[in-house]
Amino acid sequence: MQSFQLSKTVSIGRRSLMIAAAAVGMTLPAAVHAQAGEDIVIGGSIPMTGVFAFAGVGINAGIADYVKIVNDAGGIKGRKLRYVPEDTAYKVDVSVAAYKKITSQNKVNLYYGDSTGFAKTINPELERNGQILMAGASFATELNDPKKYPHQFLVGPDYSEQVGILLRHIAKEKPGAKVAFVYSDTEFGRDPIETSEAAAKKLGLSVPIKIMTPPGSVDVSTEVIKLRRAAPDYTIFHGYILAPIPEFIQQGKQMGMTSKWMGTFWTMDSSTVMKLGEAGDGFMGVMPFRYYYDTSAKAPMLDKIRAMRPEYQSTAYTQGFLTAMLFTEAAKRTLDAGKPLTGDNLKAALNSIKDFDTGGIIGTPISMPGNSIPVGRVYRADMKAQRMVPASDWISVGK
Amino acid sequence: MDWAYLFEISLTGLASGGLYALAALAFVLVYKATKVVNIAIGEMLMVGAYLFFAFAASFSLPIWLAVLGAMLGAGLLGAVIERTMIRPLLGEPPISAFMVTVGLGSILVGLVEIIWSADQRRLPEFVPSTPVMIGDAFLAPKVAYGALMAFVLIALVLLLFRFWRGGVALRATASDQGAAYMMGINVPRVFSLAWVVSAVIAALAGIVVGSIGGISSSMGVFGLSVLVVVIVGGLDSVLGALVGGLFIGLVEALAGAYLGGEYKLLATFLVLVVVLMIKPYGLFGTHEIERL
Amino acid sequence: MRIGTLKESYVADAALFDSATQKLWLGAGAALLVLFPFMASDYWLYLACLVAINVASAAGLNILTGYTGLVSLGQAAFMGLGAYTVAILQTRWGTPFLLNILAGGVVAMLGGLVVGIPSLRVKGLYLAIATIAASFIAHFLFANLSITGGTGGLAVPPASVMGVALDTSFRIYWLIVPVTLVLLLGAANLFRTRIGRAFIAIRDRDISAEVLGIPLLRYKLLSFGLSSFYAGIAGGLWAYFFRVVTPESFPLQMSIFFLAAIIVGGMGTILGSILGAVFMTMVPELLKFVFDLLPSTGHDMKVFLSPVRTVVFGLLIVGFLIFEPHGLAEVWRRIRRFFHLWPFRN
Repeated sequence: MQSFQLSKTVSIGRRSLMIAAAAVGMTLPAAVHAQAGEDIVIGGSIPMTGVFAFAGVGINAGIADYVKIVNDAGGIKGRKLRYVPEDTAYKVDVSVAAYKKITSQNKVNLYYGDSTGFAKTINPELERNGQILMAGASFATELNDPKKYPHQFLVGPDYSEQVGILLRHIAKEKPGAKVAFVYSDTEFGRDPIETSEAAAKKLGLSVPIKIMTPPGSVDVSTEVIKLRRAAPDYTIFHGYILAPIPEFIQQGKQMGMTSKWMGTFWTMDSSTVMKLGEAGDGFMGVMPFRYYYDTSAKAPMLDKIRAMRPEYQSTAYTQGFLTAMLFTEAAKRTLDAGKPLTGDNLKAALNSIKDFDTGGIIGTPISMPGNSIPVGRVYRADMKAQRMVPASDWISVGK
Repeated sequence: MDWAYLFEISLTGLASGGLYALAALAFVLVYKATKVVNIAIGEMLMVGAYLFFAFAASFSLPIWLAVLGAMLGAGLLGAVIERTMIRPLLGEPPISAFMVTVGLGSILVGLVEIIWSADQRRLPEFVPSTPVMIGDAFLAPKVAYGALMAFVLIALVLLLFRFWRGGVALRATASDQGAAYMMGINVPRVFSLAWVVSAVIAALAGIVVGSIGGISSSMGVFGLSVLVVVIVGGLDSVLGALVGGLFIGLVEALAGAYLGGEYKLLATFLVLVVVLMIKPYGLFGTHEIERL
Repeated sequence: MRIGTLKESYVADAALFDSATQKLWLGAGAALLVLFPFMASDYWLYLACLVAINVASAAGLNILTGYTGLVSLGQAAFMGLGAYTVAILQTRWGTPFLLNILAGGVVAMLGGLVVGIPSLRVKGLYLAIATIAASFIAHFLFANLSITGGTGGLAVPPASVMGVALDTSFRIYWLIVPVTLVLLLGAANLFRTRIGRAFIAIRDRDISAEVLGIPLLRYKLLSFGLSSFYAGIAGGLWAYFFRVVTPESFPLQMSIFFLAAIIVGGMGTILGSILGAVFMTMVPELLKFVFDLLPSTGHDMKVFLSPVRTVVFGLLIVGFLIFEPHGLAEVWRRIRRFFHLWPFRN
């Protein structure tokens, strides 16, 4: 049997040495990685689990696929793209931790953030870092401000612009209509309501009621009664993914409401809308991208996606794919101009994008003078065909 | 004052209160028998809803069979929980059992997410879709039938407690464990029974709640409103669960209609605070003579 | 091998750190804490700061739940009060950060008194339920008052010391860790005083405590107020660390996290607060590490990381309550006893 020599001084020294060795060991990987700097790194705080998982998984696949396409074609000026994601379960503090981890282990120039909360929290860090251009899953109106968020951008129209597109469509279809807003009591939900109400009035529409539902509320019967009383011609839902929209529509229809129902980006994925069931026939909403199965016009990128992925890909996938495309374009333009990859240069390159062809993902060529892409189309759900069909032209609400 | 509107709102509020009462019943059963505050009641509701979803949607069983399956599964879960997590803590202060149920809630949520992912889903429709009309007032059919079922079940439980041996045994164990043992009542069996029945009722409540609002891994927050209901009604009173449920449902509906959706939860919790200050044992709860 | 302790005066007996060994270990620990930020990467510094904040809050909760026996699910709400106070003071008046943090603690303490007065008059789990209500009411206030910035929350400018902004994990480490140490020392000292002993008496059997002349309501309120004060300070540190405060930053789940931390760590001991907070903060990291080691079959396995984390969290609470109710502190004590008494068994 071994006999211990537990002399106090030895044990303290040994223990401290072990801890010191471990601490040095932790810092080594950072040092090593700094050497391998040729790759252009896209970091990602991706919500692959949690409430936003269906979107996170799609976004992750979209970015990864585009990175593969670029690398297969030789990369950007010979430099390969490297995508480094971390799961965040849609929690802001986990997201921030992931950002710190990825940026401490890699030289990151491009980053995808999972939420509005993250985008706002990380902004001061981003500014201090100065080397990163960031986009994300958020379409918050507040982020669409190049002065406050100079190194971030939205991959699509912000929520106010989205509702604006819907309102334009309504004003064309039925001038002077009554439009009700039903939104969730979260930052996501409250985001566009004020500006949208003003925009509606400017378009000659009236807003008889705005209903806010507590997040996670189960029973919306009282809200439906309120809605029915206001008798709107159109009801726009915002701030939800699925629930409680089906219940609203079902109860509303049962009580004889004749309103048309509409939603914004995160509700409008084909698979989500199809879950509305019978009640969802005719459900409309704004979508800035073409759906996976859209063959209405020439779309070489969509064809490529369909070739790479034979099964249906969500609009979240498309959003991730397009983000990677815009990242690549910004990096390419910066390197073409012989400039180093810094936040300022990347953003300037992004803003120089004018009449850019997204390969059919967005129906019109896009420009990015500000922080968002204010283009979208209204789609309608056709339950029989289990498809979303276009209900309007491509509408641009650019400033 | 639009009376028709008020009537309609109140009716809907009372009906959704019935759902609260059903979930509160499950809670009260456990507290009555074992003095354990089961804060995971919302999560047990969720499990029942997901089991129903699994049987009805994934295995495509007929609705009645799926409901039965969900009830059996939930009952089994209740028994397992009681045996593994509650029984070992029998002699410990009630705080320990309470915190075990906190842990239990997390475990259930995680398990549901592993098996079914955190996506929101809809349950298959099985409620007839013609709205229920009382006079001129609309009542959504799901809410109406759910409330109806709640009333029936509560009445059933009240009767059982009065007349069935098992119910009497439960009441006996609740009031004095030692005396119950001496009378030959198998106390551990009574505990298991309480948890099993509670889980089954929670499952039924979960199916109804799920068919209204869809199911998701965060359904468990429903349990927090139920907590308010049982405080108002009395932690160990079945009748209190009913009255408390109706009352809270009404308060929520009125708050939502006249103040706005964001005030619903606030109103509920303000009621809780008021009740805690004036009548902490609730409307029908038994008074424990320990006050400072 | 230590056979016993010999004390020659009352002062020595009541001292916090009584043996040379203990003082040596503490010295080594202090040295480690000082050296750590110079050796660790940004990510580990971030974790360390987070752990320190959690330790501070867990210590506060331990005073209430571990020592006085009152269960509270409102720790996060009081942290929120502290954080928002700091945010509002810093953004509106730019007052010195130490003052802000102190103010945060005081506001949280007042909040605690408001919640405590109605609910501490009744025994049992009513305090727990009242604190759940308090969480929701606090969330409502944070989300709807204009002074708190509504659902968007407030962005907090970094604390600055003589012109140097504490905006990196390295810099703010030097604020967070000393404050946490002070709080821990305070808590440890509390239980050498009459007040602390009164708390323990209340936990063990409050009727006897009252018979002995301890006014129950007053001491319970004191305990709740102290624990809220700790939470407020931790919340203030949190505000300077994350620099964005929103109503979603302090959910009920966070209160449950702290409760789990003291259960796992060991209720009623300062060491328990430290061990529990460290353990519970590091478990998700450990899980992530384990998942990274798994053979990569695409993203299939990573999808389960978050739910597995939730299940593990619940299992830890249940497991420790059933098998080791005195927590990791007890495990630690057993290990120490083994080494103290070796080669004897017990």
